[in-house]
Amino acid sequence: MPQEIQDKLLTFITGSFMVERDDIDLDKSMIDEGIIDSFGLIEIATFMEKEFNMQVGEEQMVRSNFGSVNKIVDFIKRETGR
Amino acid sequence: MCGIAGFLINNSNYAIAGELIEAMSSTLSHRGPDGWGTYLSPEMAIGHRRLSIVDLAAGMQPMMTDRYVIGYNGEIFNYIELRRELEQKGVSFRTHCDTEVVLKAFELYGSDAFAGFNGQFAIIIWDRLEKKVVVARDRYGVRPLYVLDFKGSYYFASEMKAFDVIQGFQRTTDITNLFQHGLLWNTVDDATVYKNIRSVPGGTYEIYHPGRQPRKYRYYEIGESPSPPPVSFEEAKEQFSDVLLDAVKLRLRSDVPVAAYLSGGIDSSVISYLVAKSTKKRFKTFSVGFEDREFDETSYQDEMVNYLGTEHYSQQITYESVESNLLDAVYHTERPIFRTAPVPLFLLSKKVHNNDIKVVLTGEGADEILFGYDSFKELKLLDFWSKNISSTCRPQLIKKLYPHLQHYSDPRQFGMMKMYYEGFLSEYDNELTGLNIRIHNNKILANLFNKDFSIAFDKEALRENIRAILPDNFSSWSILQQNHFLEMKSLLSGYLLSSQGDRMSMAHSVEGRYPFLDHRVVEQMFHLPDSYKLKVFSQKYLLTETFKDVIPASIIHRPKRPYMAPDLKSFFRDGKLTDQAAHFFSDEIIDRYGIFDKKYVGRFLNKFTNKTVENIGYRDNMIATFVLSAQMAAYWAENPRKTTLSKQLKEVEIIDN
Repeated sequence: MPQEIQDKLLTFITGSFMVERDDIDLDKSMIDEGIIDSFGLIEIATFMEKEFNMQVGEEQMVRSNFGSVNKIVDFIKRETGR
Repeated sequence: MCGIAGFLINNSNYAIAGELIEAMSSTLSHRGPDGWGTYLSPEMAIGHRRLSIVDLAAGMQPMMTDRYVIGYNGEIFNYIELRRELEQKGVSFRTHCDTEVVLKAFELYGSDAFAGFNGQFAIIIWDRLEKKVVVARDRYGVRPLYVLDFKGSYYFASEMKAFDVIQGFQRTTDITNLFQHGLLWNTVDDATVYKNIRSVPGGTYEIYHPGRQPRKYRYYEIGESPSPPPVSFEEAKEQFSDVLLDAVKLRLRSDVPVAAYLSGGIDSSVISYLVAKSTKKRFKTFSVGFEDREFDETSYQDEMVNYLGTEHYSQQITYESVESNLLDAVYHTERPIFRTAPVPLFLLSKKVHNNDIKVVLTGEGADEILFGYDSFKELKLLDFWSKNISSTCRPQLIKKLYPHLQHYSDPRQFGMMKMYYEGFLSEYDNELTGLNIRIHNNKILANLFNKDFSIAFDKEALRENIRAILPDNFSSWSILQQNHFLEMKSLLSGYLLSSQGDRMSMAHSVEGRYPFLDHRVVEQMFHLPDSYKLKVFSQKYLLTETFKDVIPASIIHRPKRPYMAPDLKSFFRDGKLTDQAAHFFSDEIIDRYGIFDKKYVGRFLNKFTNKTVENIGYRDNMIATFVLSAQMAAYWAENPRKTTLSKQLKEVEIIDN
């Protein structure tokens, strides 16, 4: 259900970080775009752990998993088997 | 310390010039409650509000000689030496105050006089012969001076609220500048957040002839002194100790008692120690304490008070006191702030005033000149890491940044922090140095503004603005020296010394003096090797090593933390905004001032509504404080306070026909 994952993630991001859905390029890094700061990354990870009932290990905190909304969605999908 | 105002007279203000200069002066009463005076000629008006500190009986202003008239706000701490020098050259004096020294020095040396002043000042000088105005400001912009260009005339004042009484004028926010202010916590160079109002940059003077374009000159720049011969660390300690002690001694020159602020950190502790050493008398110290233990530093303050035996006063701060005083504080800052930290200092200066103290020494400037900010550590880390990007050890130093922010040291979050900093490896060493991270984190503010203004982040334009203020030899400096320069030009001058410094203390007629900002101290520190100031990750290393034997060990070794006050927590009670915050954040008031987009503001606030606002990120606190205080600044621009002058306090009236 990648669409559902994406929708939940985007709802959280637009509600938390002063961006509209249209402001977010799904393939770009939200850090590089200035959408989130260092604390914002922690907020997203906390949201993911709670919402999708998963654990994010230190070795998983890399750009291949967090480098864009699409990458985060893929990461959640892989981790939760959804 | 005082307030000054003035304007060139033309057809638009000739008929009302006398009333206008009095009205402008009346808005600055808080800067100088002890007396006021005016000068009026057919071409120029000058007003002055006096806070008497040196030569209480004779320091009235404006002061006039055959050729010049001066309105002066500030202190020239080396006025005794300057006076001696002038007397040797045949100059005679009528008073013992530093104003006359400034005036006579200018008379003899012209604008070359400014570089000879060791002090903090803003000056308006009218040349009666050549019919021109010279305005000047101290090296680092401690004392404020603004210029308004309106209806073919130029107006000058210590605070922008003095312009509010000019008929037909109302301060209007310049949204592009406001966004720049949001990115850097200050506008670059001479810009302000209002249209047609400039700030005279520190270290410069300007000349205004009626009907001509003003000419602008720089008499000082940070790092301008020639590099001295290299010194050992031991020699550096000795030189630093000597010059800082002398800077303190000069700043104790006053005809009224001088007190000190004690924050609990090493900077103000060292200054208080040097005051004690210099005066050998018991003196007063003042601190803020917080009900919320997260911000409270009382135990460190008490330790220093007991150690020095000072007569100590503490101002307790609660969420309610921050909330209920923000509007008044913003009246004085005249622009948005980013943390509520100025508010406790607003309340503290009231306490100082109520205890009959007019002058306080404080520790401002040490973090800039001795690499105390985490931005210096960030740069050092990025520089180190960039030389071996694949290193797994080097980024581990991230855990040592920002000890007061839990997510930095949390080993479980290390991966996130590493990912965050990786993004800066490619750009940390451009001319913005430490500002890159601040700007990057703040550019999201563009989304907040009213869409009618089409505000967008333009990094190239900002870099161009910054490049314009850099000295020619900037690229020859180390990256940490470059950051020292930029921190002093941005955060220090436009925020810490103004919104958090001058404006908060002068709101209650209290003059702050800053020994770390004696230009001899700044220049000496600037040229020392970086490792003397930031040794590995030990910040202000030279300061701690120089004073470790005379300051309690617990203060020397305590983890560094910035001075902060509760932000969002002060404006939310039980998951709801307080009444005043709700008013300023309401759709109606957002529409009224037209600065922000109500949809974005509403959505931002929703994040906190009906929740306990315990764990709030740094940026969210900043955004909330910025929006709320910008709304309040807009309120004051639209509703200036009515002020009047007491005729009994009139000390000088010069009519120069």
